[in-house]
Amino acid sequence: MNKLFIDTASTKRIASVITDDKIKSIIEEENGIDLSVRMLPIVEQVLKDAQLLPTDIAEIYVIDGPGSFTGIRVGITIAKVYAWALKKKIVPLSELELLATTPFKGNLIVPYIDARRDYAYAAIYDQDLNIYMEPCHISRTKLLEKLPKDREVVFVSYDHIQTDYPVIKPNIDIVKILNKHRNDTGVNPHECNPHYLKMTEAEEKMQNGVLHD
Amino acid sequence: MKDVYILAIESSCDETSVSIIRNGCDEIATVVLSQMDMHANFGGVVPEVASRMHIENITMVLEECLNKADLDMTDIDAIAVTYGPGLIGSLLIGVQAAKTLAYLYNKPLVPVHHIAGHIYANNLEKPLSFPLIALVVSGGHTDLIYMEEDYSFKRIGGTLDDAVGEAYDKVARVVGLSYPGGPIVDKKAHEGKNTYHLPLPLNDDSYDFSFSGIKSAVINLVHNEKQRGNVINVENLCASFQHSVVEILTKKTMRALKEFGVNNLIVAGGVAANKGLREKLTSLCSEENINLIIPSMKHCTDNAAMIGAAGYYAYKLGRRANLDLNAKANDALQ
Repeated sequence: MNKLFIDTASTKRIASVITDDKIKSIIEEENGIDLSVRMLPIVEQVLKDAQLLPTDIAEIYVIDGPGSFTGIRVGITIAKVYAWALKKKIVPLSELELLATTPFKGNLIVPYIDARRDYAYAAIYDQDLNIYMEPCHISRTKLLEKLPKDREVVFVSYDHIQTDYPVIKPNIDIVKILNKHRNDTGVNPHECNPHYLKMTEAEEKMQNGVLHD
Repeated sequence: MKDVYILAIESSCDETSVSIIRNGCDEIATVVLSQMDMHANFGGVVPEVASRMHIENITMVLEECLNKADLDMTDIDAIAVTYGPGLIGSLLIGVQAAKTLAYLYNKPLVPVHHIAGHIYANNLEKPLSFPLIALVVSGGHTDLIYMEEDYSFKRIGGTLDDAVGEAYDKVARVVGLSYPGGPIVDKKAHEGKNTYHLPLPLNDDSYDFSFSGIKSAVINLVHNEKQRGNVINVENLCASFQHSVVEILTKKTMRALKEFGVNNLIVAGGVAANKGLREKLTSLCSEENINLIIPSMKHCTDNAAMIGAAGYYAYKLGRRANLDLNAKANDALQ
């Protein structure tokens, strides 16, 4: 079975074709402002490299956040239009869970994406990608309070983090996350939308009673 | 000759729209999902909110349009998309969707400039006659364009600062009217009189416009009257503002028609729905024997039907984009 994997949420943009639990083709590039120019050609290229037609893909796995708002939207638009048009199964995955596929020594791993103003997008997983803390937008202080003292905890991040915990660079394992979700039923493509984990500033202001500044 | 079906996508601001147009003039089906109610909560379009809503709606709007047309993607000859100008985050959703469809179905991808779309909205009413002058007036644009033939655009003038629709919305806000204020200012203007006698903005020999000055004049006037403890007559202020704006728009447009020796005028964009502007242009064009086309209300505001109409002519001219097409927040009409 051929699966297409798309990640545009993070420091790296990735498209990959996975066939029978093996990576058949992959393109991984540093992400940047040319994402909207590059992403579809990258998808086209990984299918070509795998010698497949768009119809040969059975399932699409797409990272739905958190991360760059615009970045997430580029990947999801491609994935949801693809899944809707060709009636393919689509499975949204978390960028934080993807980061947590990085091999590590210890009990728990904390994927961490800097969200500025002393906030982060973070979650906590164990070695088997079981969730210890759900992905969320959280202050650094609160995150540190959530970490269990009696377990060995490791952070994984592309960002430079100041912490007493060990921090490792991501070395993601796409096959691992796809295997973890192999039995997921997927979602209706219309409902495959970004998980920003954060409201827009305008919505936050409205919620806090600040209107039309 | 074989019919040409264009599937068009428009997402440059706060409307997610998909349309299927046959031969550049027959509207087979159009779906427009407006976000106006959402943005009204914030007093204006919030770009990030707009982008979020576009991605949530894009496949639903595509599906509804194809269902409405009773067609499927294999019936489509080409995919046209607004690539700019507009809100970059909003444009990106339409552009990515269009590129993905073009790739999956191996269809030509036709990039369409948003203003070309507004102009060709008129082609859905009546085939365009050339040469013509197009007055494009909306919340994002104010342009005077000369067209010798299909898809040849020469911009002879335009706003140097705010778009006319933007000025309307700002004035509405200053006098306490709700969003979107343009249509309400127009309505109030008809209930009032030109008593405030605002200056004609950029009343010179160029074909350019400037609306930031008159907007500031209104803001200062309201502020000064409040300081003096005077009550503003909103209807009269709207009438005065509208008088100056319509006067300068029509004055320069009529001069362009005369100087270019053209007797076809088309009006396009959301402000083409403005009753004051329609009335004045209808009367002037009738006096001067000018053929005036103003699109129906549904084609004045942003919609994909107009992109499909323009897209057909771009397609016939061989204009194509590759899968590396990018959205552009600003781009000259060519």
